[in-house]
Order: sequence, then structure tokens, then C-alpha cells
Amino acid sequence: MGHTVLVCDDAIFMRTMIADILAAAGYEVIGEAETGAQAVQKYRELKPDLVTMDIVMPDMGGIDAVREICKDDPDAKVLMCSAMGQQALVVEAIQAGAKDFVVKPFQPSRVLEAVQRVLG
Amino acid sequence: MDLAKYAALFVSESREHLQACNQLLLAWERDPEATAPVDGLFRAVHSLKGMAATMGFAPLAELAHRAENLLDAVRSGRVSVKPEHFELLFRSVDELEDGVARATTGKGLRAEAASLVKALDAAVKKAGKAGVAGKAGGPDETAKPVTAKAEKPAAKDERPSLDVKITVRTDALLRGARALLALRKVEALGAVSRVTPQVSELEREDFDGKLAFRIRTGAAPSEVDAVIRSAGDIAGVAIDLASDEATVDANAMRQIRIDLSRLDALMKLAGELVVARNRLVELARASTDPELGQVGERISRLVGAVQSEVLEARLTPVREVFDRFPRVVRDLARDLGRQVRLEVEGGDIELDRAVLDEVADPLVHLVRNAIDHGIEPPRERVKAGKTAEGRLRLSASRERNSVAIRVADDGRGIDRAKILAKAKADGLVDATAESLADDQLLRILSRSGFSTAAVVSGVSGRGVGVDVVMTRIRQLGGAVELVSEPGQGTAFVLRVPLTLAIVRSLLVQVGAERYVVPLNYVSETIEFSATPITALGDREALVIREQPVPTVHLHRLLNIAGATTTGRRPVLVVQVGERRSALVVDALLGQQEIVVEPFDAPRGMPGWFSGATILADGAPALILDAAALV
Repeated sequence: MGHTVLVCDDAIFMRTMIADILAAAGYEVIGEAETGAQAVQKYRELKPDLVTMDIVMPDMGGIDAVREICKDDPDAKVLMCSAMGQQALVVEAIQAGAKDFVVKPFQPSRVLEAVQRVLG
Repeated sequence: MDLAKYAALFVSESREHLQACNQLLLAWERDPEATAPVDGLFRAVHSLKGMAATMGFAPLAELAHRAENLLDAVRSGRVSVKPEHFELLFRSVDELEDGVARATTGKGLRAEAASLVKALDAAVKKAGKAGVAGKAGGPDETAKPVTAKAEKPAAKDERPSLDVKITVRTDALLRGARALLALRKVEALGAVSRVTPQVSELEREDFDGKLAFRIRTGAAPSEVDAVIRSAGDIAGVAIDLASDEATVDANAMRQIRIDLSRLDALMKLAGELVVARNRLVELARASTDPELGQVGERISRLVGAVQSEVLEARLTPVREVFDRFPRVVRDLARDLGRQVRLEVEGGDIELDRAVLDEVADPLVHLVRNAIDHGIEPPRERVKAGKTAEGRLRLSASRERNSVAIRVADDGRGIDRAKILAKAKADGLVDATAESLADDQLLRILSRSGFSTAAVVSGVSGRGVGVDVVMTRIRQLGGAVELVSEPGQGTAFVLRVPLTLAIVRSLLVQVGAERYVVPLNYVSETIEFSATPITALGDREALVIREQPVPTVHLHRLLNIAGATTTGRRPVLVVQVGERRSALVVDALLGQQEIVVEPFDAPRGMPGWFSGATILADGAPALILDAAALV
């Protein structure tokens, strides 16, 4: 508990929802990003324990962001947030270094399970 | 799980890996384009990381992990290797080596390790930003998940192969991605091959959730199972030992590792058996019972066989020590601004492990000396008409029951004039002496406290430590020889017995005392009165086959009353290298195999003895040091 999280999604709704699920479970959301580029920059600034990453975002997509983040920190723990039907993209994200994924629509229990797996 | 019992194995196996790392780094540095050394290094460091993590030595695992990151970055082409990377990796290997030793005593890494971790990270990061653009996005780019804790100690090629089948739950979402996640996690445990279906198939929405692969791993099947399940949404895992690997495994079992202390204990027991056998043989000889004689003979043969088997098991190729030197030489040459080519020969020659361990430090001393004091800086060499690159030869050869290890350089040679002047000033040689022979030179250099550093080179603040070398080798019952030519170079030869524990010896009597002389060094026995006496300088000498050999009357040397001083007496000619000496004694009592006992000479005891032993009749006796007598 007490792990820090950076939440990346272009939708405020999704960010809020994820942040609430995590906060209720005792995680500390220390930053939010709405583009891939912002995610990379904030990751460098905040060094969070975990990143939740939407796949499709403007400016720079989630997969490129994972790649950038993992280049900086091969141990970065990134959890992809995908939608149904994005299997190929998730496979690509895992190959880029993502550590796990959850599928929208989110069930809080599913999200927390994945977060726990990633944080080991 | 009680990890303490794995500590010794951890240390020995880690050292093997680190030794390999040094060799690989050297090879790689010579040929930065080669890929084999990088792969080897990566594997060795990776294995070490896994072992350290398993043992709970987190800082050690952490450092290994950072080094592995850099190696992986180079291996996958993200980083192109630079000279400073070699330096960084050499230092990391040193730190890991040190850390392995410290970890088992409950200590963490030294403070330097932290800066090393930072430097390794920086090297990876710097390169990451300037990474090879064309490669970005390729599968090699993937950062491997690092779950070092799950890694078990494993020899790289002897790990068994497991055939694994996994099934992703049917109600799971994106089953292909889930299967890939499981695959990525399990890859941290070993080398994965034969993945079916191919990874590209996992992207298909109609993937049926079944994935099979083979993994070569040191991890237990239960561990593989647990790691796969940690990916989540896994319905089932089936693991079988790959069938075509079974025979290989059976063969791998034919060799086992034995703790050296076990062999030491066995050797000691064999030694005691020899003493008991000697006693038995003596009793049998005195008895009239023929059966006792037969049994005695049979036991005698069996004990001999046991002894040679144990000795055989302890023999270790000198390569184990020689292999350190490429690295030592490289570092020293660099630090001292020399160019040195190291030539190694005779690495296959075998020695008792215990002897080899004792020889290692003296050799390091001599190699340091050769580079520090012997081999000149490149400019000086060129001026003297030599190649800029100095030559250092390290060789081993077998001589009867001993092994000669030679350290020879082609440097400037020892400055005899300066040593002579200093020795005269210290009153070590006659003020009228005009030159120093090699053996005199050695004797002066090996006097402890003889300040050679200033005289020999003026470069190093340290003494050359020849006295340390001399003491260690003599304690082994060995001998040191020196040959030095001005401008041509210096060679030290260390002669050591094949084994420490059991030595065939000649028992001699002087007055009421008995002494032991190792047979290694006895070249012949003759009779005193029958041999013409002459003089060699101011010493009495015997003429043996027209060669004068200086005599040593043991009763005088050892100050023993009641010795025979007239008439025919036996003489032992002892030879160490080229030097000989004729020891005059009262009687030869025959040969005996003796077990050398550790020996701390009491203060003030003259240095004529190299050890002590218990004779067949249970009485103690001192072992004469042949090297001190010639």
C-alpha cells in the first residue's frame, strides 16, 4: 500500500474513475497525463511506482509512451488499459515493455488484481 | 528454506562465473565487434543475479542487474560499446567479486557500489536516448521483465529442458495478450524455444487460449508453474521433462561437486593411515609370524592406492590460477603505463589444490614486480632497442615430483650495482665483494626488511615482497630460484611439491637426533671419507664427479653434541635447481613416507626446518629445509 501511481488517459472520466478505484484501495495518485508525450514527461518527473496507460491517446499513443518510458527505466511498471478488440495493440504494448493489462469496461476488482500483480 | 547451507555453493559458483566474466571481458575488449563474449557475459551476470537474489543478497543482485542491463543494451544493439564501458564492467566484476565474499559474512556492498550502479544506469540511459533508430519497435527492443528472485542457481548448459503447455481461461479477455504476458514472465526463468503458436498468432482475436513452448531452466517445475500463473487468468499449466533431454541429464549426474574441506579431511585421514601403516610394517618386520607380514604388505599396497586416489582427486590444473593473470596484467600495465604481452604456457599441469592455493599469492607478487620494476615504460624500451611492448611469460612444467612455475620478463633486469651497494651499507655482504651471483642476489632480496623499493626502481612505494614469496614457498617445502640479466630481463622459478600432505623422505640420524629430508631434493647419497675434500671459496667442499659441492656438517650447523666426527660417514647430496650441497650425517635410517604437519617455528629457531612430522614409532621429528641448506 502507499504505492504511487501516474494515471494516463485522454478522457477525464476514465482518469477520475481509475483514480477513485486506486485511491479507495490505498494507492496514491500523484499525477495525471492526457497524452503519451505528457505521460513520458511526467514519468521522468514523478518516478511513480506504477503507470496506468490508455492505448489510444492524441499526440503520442500509449504504446509509444510505454516504449519511451521503458527505454528510460527498463523496470518501469506500466499497466495498459485497453478496450475489447484491441488484442493486437495489447500484444504490441507487452512487447514494448508493458507489464500487464486490463480491459474496459473496468471492474474495480479486476483493476486492483492487475495492479497487485504488477507491483508484486 | 535454510539458505545457509547453499552459501558455499553460491560462493564457489559465483566465483566461477566472475572468473569467466573477466576472461570474456578481456576477449571482448580485444575484439569489440565480437558477439560471443557479450552473450557469455550476459549469461554469467544473469546467473549470478539469480543466485544472489535467491540467497537474499539484494544489493548484490541489484548491482548484477544493472550490469546486465548495460550488457543487454549492447547485445540488442541499443548501445554501441565504448572503452569506458569496459572499464565500468571490469569495475563491476571486481565489486561483484568483493560483494560475493562480503555477502556471506552478512555484509552489504562497499560504498563504491552505489556510484557504480549510477554509472551503469547512466551508460544505459545515455545510450537509450541516442539509441539506434532503426531498431526501435523491433522485438529486441522489449525490456525483459526482471523477476530475478525466481531464478535458481544454474549451470548454463546443464539445465534441464521442460515442455510446457498453458491454457488461458475461456472467460478471460484478450486471451492472446494474456498468454503473451505469461510467456514474457516465464522468460525470466530461462531460455524459451519452440513457442507454438507463433507470437504473431497471439494477436488474432480467435486465438484459442492454448500456448506451448520449451524452456531450458534451472527452476523447479513448481516454480515455472507459479510464475506462469502470476500472469493471471491462467486455467491450467502442464509441465513435462523434455523426453529427448533425459539421457543428457543422466550423464550430467556422473560428476558431483565436493566441498574442498571434505577432500582435505580425506587427505588427512589417508595421511594418518600412512603413519599407521608404517608402524604396522615395522611391527611385521620384527615379528616371526609370516601371516602378519603378508597382511602388512597387503594393507601397505591398499593404503598406497587410497593415497594416490585421494591425491588424484585433489589435483587441479594450474590454469585455475593462471587464468587470473590476463586481468591482473592488463590492469597493472594500464596503471603503470606499460605495454605488456602476457604469454601463458603449461596451464594443464596439475598440482594439489592446497599447493596451488598457496602459490597464487606469491605469483601475483612476482607478476606485479615484473611489470612494476622489470618491464620498462615503452619509450625507455624503444630507446634501448627493444619492442615497445614488453613480454611476460608465465609457464608451468613438471619436474620429477615437483612442479616449476616460472615468471619471466624481458625488462631491465635487477640493478645489481645498486643492490650490492645497499647490501654493503647494510653489512649483508663483505665490503670487498665486487659482484653478486644470482643466488646471493636472491638471498639479499629475500631478507625481510631489505628495502628494495627505492633501490630497484624508485617508482613504487611498496617493497617488492620477495621475502614474502620466499617464506611462502619454503613453507610448502619448495624453493625459489632467480636469474637476472641486465637489460635482458628477470626470471623467478618457484619449485613446489606436487602435494603437501604426504612426502617420501629419507630419515637421517645426527647424534641422538633424527631428522627428515624430503626425497625430492636428494640427488644421491655417498660416503664422506671416500670423497676427496677441497675448498670452494672459504668453504669446505667435496669433489663429486669432478665437481666441487660445498659440505654442511649437520652436527655443527644444528649444534648437536655426541655426533660422530671422524671416520666414514654417510653424505646426502641435496639439490635445489642448480644448487647443490653435501649434508654430512651420522647414519641413514631409511626411507619413510611422512605426513607433513603444520609447523610454527618457535621464535629464535634457526630457519633450517620447513615442517615437522610424526615418525612410524610415534616420535616427532623435524623436516630439514633443503632449499635453506644449499
